[in-house]
This record gives sequence, C-alpha cells and structure tokens, in this order.
Amino acid sequence: MNRLPAFTISQPQSVAEASEMLASLGDSGRLYAGGTELLATMKEGALLYDTLVDVKTVPGLADIRVQDGELWIGAAVTHFSIETSPIVRELLPVLSYVESRVANTRVRATGTLVGNLCFAEPHSDPATMLLCLDARVVAQSTRGERQLTIDEFFVGAYETALEEDEVVTSVVVPLPPANWRMAYKKFQIIERPTLGLGVVLELNDGGDSVATARAAVGCVSESPLRSSAAEAQLAGPLESLLERLDAAGDSLADEADLLDDREGSAEYKRHLIKVFLKRAVQQALQSDGPSR
Amino acid sequence: MSRDSDDAKVDLTPQNWSDLPVEPVTDVSHETGFQVVNKSVPRRDGVAKVTGRALYTSDITLPRMAHARIVRSPVAHARITSIDVSAALERPGVYAVLTGEDLKALPHTHYGHAVPDHAVLAIDKVIFVGEPVAAVIAASERIAQQAMEDVVVEYDELDAVITVDEALSPEAPVIHGRAFTSGAFRGFEEETVAGQTSNICEEAHVGWGDVEEGFSQATTIVEGEYYYPMAYAYAMEPYVAVGDVSDNSLTVYSSAQHPFMVRHDLAHVFGMSLGQVRVVVPYVGGGYGSKSYTKIEPLAAACSWWAKRPVKIQLGVEESILTTRGDDALVRMRTGVDSDGRIIAREATIYLNSGAYAENSPLVCKKSANRIVGPYAIPHVKVDCYSVYTNTCPASSFRGFGASLVTFGAESQIDELAEKLGEDGLSFRLRNVADEGERFFPKMRGLDANLKGDLRKLAAMLEWDAEPQAGRGKGLAVSASDAGAHPITTAAIKLHGDGSVTVLTGSTELGQGSHTVLAQIAAEEFGIPLESVQVVASDTAIVPFERSTGASRTTTLMGRAVQEACQEAIAQLCEMGSEAFGVPPEEIEQESGGLRHGDRSMAWSELLTSFFGMPDCEIVGRAYLRRAGDLKELPPFWEIGCAGVEIEVDEETGRIELTRLAAVGDVGLAINPAMAEGQDLGAAAMGIGTGLFEELVYDGQQLANANLWDYRVPRFTDIPSDVRLELTQDQNGVGPYGAKGGGEGSLNPMSASIANALYQATGVRVHEAPLTPERVWQALQAKKSSQREAE
Ligand SMILES: Cc1cc2nc3c(=O)[nH]c(=O)nc-3n(C[C@H](O)[C@H](O)[C@H](O)COP(=O)(O)OP(=O)(O)OC[C@H]3O[C@@H](n4cnc5c(N)ncnc54)[C@H](O)[C@@H]3O)c2cc1C
Repeated sequence: MNRLPAFTISQPQSVAEASEMLASLGDSGRLYAGGTELLATMKEGALLYDTLVDVKTVPGLADIRVQDGELWIGAAVTHFSIETSPIVRELLPVLSYVESRVANTRVRATGTLVGNLCFAEPHSDPATMLLCLDARVVAQSTRGERQLTIDEFFVGAYETALEEDEVVTSVVVPLPPANWRMAYKKFQIIERPTLGLGVVLELNDGGDSVATARAAVGCVSESPLRSSAAEAQLAGPLESLLERLDAAGDSLADEADLLDDREGSAEYKRHLIKVFLKRAVQQALQSDGPSR
Repeated sequence: MSRDSDDAKVDLTPQNWSDLPVEPVTDVSHETGFQVVNKSVPRRDGVAKVTGRALYTSDITLPRMAHARIVRSPVAHARITSIDVSAALERPGVYAVLTGEDLKALPHTHYGHAVPDHAVLAIDKVIFVGEPVAAVIAASERIAQQAMEDVVVEYDELDAVITVDEALSPEAPVIHGRAFTSGAFRGFEEETVAGQTSNICEEAHVGWGDVEEGFSQATTIVEGEYYYPMAYAYAMEPYVAVGDVSDNSLTVYSSAQHPFMVRHDLAHVFGMSLGQVRVVVPYVGGGYGSKSYTKIEPLAAACSWWAKRPVKIQLGVEESILTTRGDDALVRMRTGVDSDGRIIAREATIYLNSGAYAENSPLVCKKSANRIVGPYAIPHVKVDCYSVYTNTCPASSFRGFGASLVTFGAESQIDELAEKLGEDGLSFRLRNVADEGERFFPKMRGLDANLKGDLRKLAAMLEWDAEPQAGRGKGLAVSASDAGAHPITTAAIKLHGDGSVTVLTGSTELGQGSHTVLAQIAAEEFGIPLESVQVVASDTAIVPFERSTGASRTTTLMGRAVQEACQEAIAQLCEMGSEAFGVPPEEIEQESGGLRHGDRSMAWSELLTSFFGMPDCEIVGRAYLRRAGDLKELPPFWEIGCAGVEIEVDEETGRIELTRLAAVGDVGLAINPAMAEGQDLGAAAMGIGTGLFEELVYDGQQLANANLWDYRVPRFTDIPSDVRLELTQDQNGVGPYGAKGGGEGSLNPMSASIANALYQATGVRVHEAPLTPERVWQALQAKKSSQREAE
C-alpha cells in the first residue's frame, strides 16, 4: 500500500506569514486545508512536498458573513458548514444545495470550498455554480490583495492563476436580487460528477420574460465554462423558452469542445447538457425567489 | 431529510452493544423445537469488530519484522533484460531486494492450485501490467517505497494480447510456452492441466441429447450475444501477509480464505513437508472469492527467506485490483422452445478472459459451462466454454464463480423467449423450471429445492401482477449453481472439564458469520448456552483440514462436521456415563447439558470428572466428511438464486434506479436467519454493482480504472429503500438440520433481472452488463431511430 511520504506541517498565524512561508518554500511547500485532495495525491506519489502550510491555523478564515450585499466565505470553511449555514440557506439556498451534493459525508466534513477551487480538479460542482453566480476569489500575498473572477481564476485542469505565494482568503458571491431564479443540476455515475449544470435567470418586471441569463456547464472540459451564445438564446419571453432550450444546449456543448472518454461519448454528453439545461431551467422557474 | 436527525441518540458504550435488539427475521424454532439454532443471535465477533479490537493480519507484528513493497511491471508483455538493485540496496534501512533471478535457488519458483503456472516474481519475462518484478525489503514501508524508485528494470517489449480475440488469433504470441500439470488437485476429480501450446488455459464441454435435432423441433428460437464485465471482488481489507521462514519451518499469517490450499502451494515452493508449513488466518475483512487460494503468501515467505527475518506485505486496493479480478464472459447462445412452450434445446459458447495466470479460472470455466444451462430440464444441450490466457491481470473466483457471469445472458434469453411467445417471464419459468427432486442435469444430484415455490414467493414480493407505474418495470431471474463445495471437510471439538466447548475449524471467518453459526450448532448439540462455546479457526497447525471457505460450503459441510464431531464426543460420553451410572450405554439418554438415566442426571462436567478423576480434563470429538453416503452425489446441494427488482428508468439520461429489490434465500434451514438474510442482501447488492456500473476497463495494456475513484462499488445508497427478503426453510439440504448453502445465490440473477425489468419498462433489451446510463440511452436511441425508419 502506498504510504504518505514524511512531511512537516507549519502553522502560520496570519495570511502574511503563510504567504512568506510559501515564498520561501517554493516548490517544496504547499497550502493545506482539509487535505482531501492534497494528501490523497501525495499518497499516490503524484505530488511531493516537504512542508504543508496549514491555512486552518490562520485566525479569521473560518467565517461565513455578509458584507455589502455579498456573501463572504472564508478559506477554512468546509462544504458541510456552507451546506448547513443558516445564512447560506436563507440568502443563497442554491449554494447550500450544491454543497450538500458534493462528494460524501467524510469529504464534506473536512474538505473546504476554497480547497476545491484551488485544486482545480475539472469535476467541481461548486466551481460551475459559482461561475454562474459571478463569484470572485480573493487572493492575498505579501504584495497585497487582488480579486479574480472564477473565469480568470481557472487556467486549466489542476491549474489556477494563483502565484506561488498567494493565499486565497475568501470566495465572494454577490447575493441575488428577488427577481433572479437559479438552479443547479448534477449527474453522477462514478465518484465525481459526470456533468454539472447551473443556470441563473433574471426575470423582467412583469415576470414573463428572461431579461438576462447565465448558464454554466462543468465537468465536461478542463474548467467550467459559460457560453454567451447560449445565454443570448435563453433570454427572451418565458412562453417560448422551452423551444429555445435545444439551441442553447447546443451552444453550451459547442463551447465545451466535448471529447469521447470513459465518462461518455461526446454525443452522449451533448445530449446530457441539453437534458440538464432543460431540467435546471424548469427547476429555476418553479421557485418563486432566487432559491434552488 | 435533515442530516442532523441521523444522529439518533444511541448509547455507544461497548457493554450495551450486546443488548441491542436483534429482531429474529424468520424464526421457525418454536415449531421445530430448536434451542440455539434457527435463531438470530447477534454475531459473536460484532462488538470486537466495531470497537477495533478484532485481530486482522495487518495487526500482526513480529519481532525483527521487515516490510516489503513490490516493484511492478509497467508493460503487459516483455523480456526483462536487466534489473539493477544496487542503488536501492545502498539506501539506509533497506535490508534486501528480491528478484525473480534470486528465486531460482528455491525448490520451485511457480505455484498454483489448479496448475502451477504462477511465478512468485516474474522470472525473465513479465506477462501483465502490474506483475510483481522485485520486492524491496526494508525497515519500514516508507523506506521500502522510496527505495522502489531506485530499482531499475529494463524491458524488451513483446507483442501483447489483451482481448480474447487477440489471444486466439493464429498470429498471437503464446503467453505460456510450456505445459503445466495439475497442482493441488492431482489425481482428483477437479484436476486440470493448462499451458500447452496455445493461449487456451482450460476448456469445458458439457452436453447431452442432440442440439441440432432439438433446434429442428423447436418452434421458437432466440439467439444472442451477451457480455458480462471483468469485475473486482472488492473487500474492505486488501491483501496482506506476513511470512516467517526459519531453518526448518515456515509460518505465514495471511488474509487467505483457504489456509490449507495456501499451505499446499507454500510447501511446494519451499520443498517443505505439510507439517513444516503453518498458515494462520485471523479475521478476514471480506473475501467474495478475491481471497480464494494463494495470492501474495509465497512472495511474503520468499521475502522472509531472502532477508532472513519476518516480512509483511500489505497491499492497497489499487494493487489488490492488479492481483486478482473476476473473469469476464462473452456468451453466444441460442435457446429453443417446442410447441408446448417447453425449452427443448440450448447451445452456448463462452469465452472467458482469464488473464495472465490460471489461478482458479479452470474451475470457473467448468462451472460456467454447467451453470449456463440454468435450473431447467432441457433435453438437448451443448455448451463449450474456453478460459483464455491474455496479458491482463489474472482472473480467479468472484462470489459464486461461474454463475453470475453466464446467468446474465442465460436468464436474459429466457425472458426474450417468453416475450417472443407473448408470455410473461414468470409463467414461462413456472412451466419450465425443474421440480423438486428432478434430475435436470444428468449425473448430478436431483434438485433439492422447491424452485417453483420460491418463484411464487418472489412474484408475491414483487407484486408481479400489479401494473408498474409509468417509467417503471419489473424483472426477475433464477439460477441454480452446482455448488463447488467438494465434501472434504474435517472438524474437531474439545469438550472441556467444565462443560464448555471449543470448536476447531478450518473455516475462515470472512464476515459471513461462521464463528457464530458453528458455535450455534455446537451449543445446540450439547444443549449448552451459546456463551459456553468458543471457536478457534484457520490455523493449519492446530485445526483439522478443511478444503476451503468458499462455494457456500461452511454451514452445510463444516456445520455438519461440527455437528458430527459433537455427536461423536457425546457417544464417548455415553460410554463414560455407562461406567458412571453402571448401566449399558443404550439405556442412557441425552438431555440438555448432559446425560440422564432414569431420574439420575449427570452434567457433561460431572461425566468428565468422574471418568478422569480430576477436574479440567477434556475429550476430543472429531468428524471426517468425504464423498460418501448422502454426500456421495455431487453437488452436495444446488445453490438457488431467485431474485428480482422493480426499476425506474430515466429515459432522458438512461439512468436506472432500483425502486424495489426482492430475493428468496432457499437455504434449507437458516441456522441464523438474520445473518442468512444479510448474506442474501449482500449478494444482491454485489449484483446491483455489476448490473448497473461495476466494470474493470482496459485501455490498451493498462487497466483504466484500477482504483476506487474510478471503479465504483455499490454503496448503501444504491440499495433501494424497499427491500423484501424471504427465506425458504424446507429442511431439505444435506447440512445440519437440513441446511444448505446460501450467500452467493442472490448475486447471480441480479443483472438479468435488471435487464429484464428494463425491457418491461422501455421495450429495449441491453445485452451488455453493466447497464450503464449511456448503454441504456444508446439502446433507447437505436429503438427510436428504428421506429422512425419503420414509419
Ligand atoms: C472521494 C471524493 C469525492 C469527491 N467528489 C466531489 C464531487 O462530487 N463534487 C465536487 O465538487 N468535488 C468533489 N470532490 C472534491 C472535494 O470537494 C475536494 O476534495 C475538497 O473540497 C478539497 O478541499 P480541501 O480543503 O480538502 O483541500 P486540500 O486538499 O487541503 O487542498 C487542495 C488544493 O488546494 C490548495 N489550497 C487549499 N487551500 C488554499 C488556499 N486557501 N489558498 C490557495 N490554495 C489552497 C492546496 O494547496 C491544494 O493544492 C471529491 C473529493 C473526494 C476525495
């Protein structure tokens, strides 16, 4: 059986200290949150670090709070805490739902949302929904703080735009106004999702038309993605929305550049995108507020 | 559902666990007058296991013990041109590195109970990806792991054959260019030879009547090709062994199911007598066939021999998958029905991809050929089955081997026939399945089960006649396996001076409950409380010989041997009672906990004390079972599979979800009904796996999903909330009190039941398991486009 190679854990007391540690460790060190991806990959021998810098010892990263109409989720917050947070359940139930569907009880209890994003594994549920919600990632280093959109943050599979010494401190999600409708749908066969699909629909004042739409698909390409063509197709009167879904699904699928692989043929994935786009839209419209 | 509500308030202090209510599932004991058997007593190892106190092989640490890690082949077929271990040896903490070359100093370098074709470590040539090439032996696993990277192996690649088609093509390289004679079964009816000059490892031909004649009389014929996947018999405990070789003996602790069969291979490799080799098996964390026969024990022992210290090898799941898998099966089959709606002929050709070494595949081959016939009296039968060597991970037993992999096609085809006749699958089967006592398979024991009755019970549980909701369908299937439980079983019991009993058994506690069931039988026989019986198991130096712990044999054969051993001890006690009471033995009667003559009673302890003149003495009772008397006919019992499902199909995605699962366990008599039902549900759950999503997939020479991230095994959430189980207890088996084997049966019909239910729900038939969403969706697409064409 593969054994975890020996390593040291450093316990920084501030983000600045963590960033300094990362800078001086270079390739031999890495941030460590829940460890659910990191330790498993180190055990397999695919990654090797002498030192792990534990974000959980940095004070102030374990909070979920609302500030200026935005939800701030700290880097040490686990999936389970988000799922069960009264604030999230009330203000952004779709995220609570997404989190409740991630992995299994053990992973949700130790794994963090930020760890999920920073690992950039292509099969992320929250990444897809956060892309749809126009969320941002807050990164901090000794040089200062910057915010990246989800789109900017993901560079490819297992690759983010973070600098070596940057620590993600929070994820920020703008809270939706009352005329927004949203839903997330996932399809899973093996251990990770085969497909994730999120939609956010902004209704007009009369509530009979989609003013603007966002749709994101995840798990079928290196990073989750949106399609402006699909979003344009989704906008318009609700009455004829169903008829426009097929074309919108095709646009999303085109954007994703689907491949045949063990998770399914490109043909099947294209079909699934359409099925789940339809289901997500239907579910979003069934709710009477920005809920799941 | 709120997850918080899951945390129900249960007192988790260990002393309270044995008081947890255990509901008797089916309790016929009030009718039959049993005291201890036929009751759902709590499992005896339960508390030790859930509190982490139960001893498993990985818990064993010996003085001076080293750890070995295995360097494995990255290529499927190659000559090893060189192995350089010098850098590894220089690492501090590395004791030795063992290679195939070093093994040549041993009396034998190959082992295998069927045929000794299996190299302990690859010698000169590797024949599958993952084959052990060298073992690094070091002070810790971590050091061994690091040093593995310093072992440099050079390969000269050869053409590889991965599929059966490739292996059987005339240009195919022959994997084993030499013939092997039989291993542990020499001169025995399970004997096998393999290797020869082609890649066919074993073939089996079964038949009677004249199939051509049969098909010419048939009025309805269905023909088809079916594929059942390679699967991994996942057990929570991966393979682990500790080898300890000294000057004139060898002890191996192992997670093996069959300690005596492992002993044979070890004695062979090391040129030792059986008495010099001791195999000890503590608790095993699940077997399901994956731990049948020898796995890493010879390597652990060879490492110990080479490093001159005890050596532990602990594999992970990834390496365990590369150690053994189940055979897949490609089945081409046709079945014909006469004008009375009776099956008149069945013809099948089966190809098994058996991987690089024979392991148990020769037996899987023979059993597959028998079991594809099904529990039907068919006048004309012809079956040809081929087990084929390929450059893939070796295949061996998988729970109920030879049954699930062919029953998928066999029972799908039965429904296809019924459909063609415009009949439903239940009434077709009720007309065709064999009657109790009917000798439906020539030269074998007549059917020792009321399968028609079982089918009716199953139909009732499935509410067969009620129309399913839209999008749902029901399906069922049956099987009868000629249990490979060859009756060679011996047991001993010790009756201690205080009237308590120790059972000495070669049956391994794999989680199936043997420690509980065998203790229940001994307690019943002596009329003593269950708490007065202990079970000591699976130490070849201590316990009497048992062929194996597999093929559902333990309750039937070991249970009966324990029962007879108790009775033999009681016969000795009657002699002692005769002396004590001063009357002939015939006048003495057995009562609960002792003997009686008239109104004088003597407890077992008093009899022993009066005989020996001192307390604490003991006697031994023993029993030897062999193929004789009512065990002469094979199989000793037919293992019945009778299970069905209701499913819901999401036609847009092709995803199948089980909404109900029903199974009948026809076990003769359940010594412990709750555990018997647990076995049925467990077996059915494994069937959900291969029915819906479990399959090992080769991508070129590499297994693409040899880990639990990519290889999905069933979880609790895959089991529908509506589970209905029933036991048939007709006391018609050769085991104790009429018991028969169970625990494998419910797996066998599952994948066909699911395929049959899919047909009922959607009108599409899928011939390839598992029935993954995409396969189902593709089939639905094909149906739609053919409908469109027809319009
Ligand atoms: C069995 C299993 C099933 C799963 N199934 C799903 C699923 O269904 N859906 C899904 O979406 N996900 C799934 N996941 C992924 C899961 O969500 C992640 O494993 C988890 O969220 C990672 O968080 P962590 O805190 O454990 O991260 P870690 O493993 O500690 O870290 C992961 C990576 O992020 C980096 N990192 C961590 N924190 C920071 C930070 N603050 N700043 C910068 N870098 C940081 C680490 O250096 C590391 O590279 C699954 C995982 C497992 C193991």
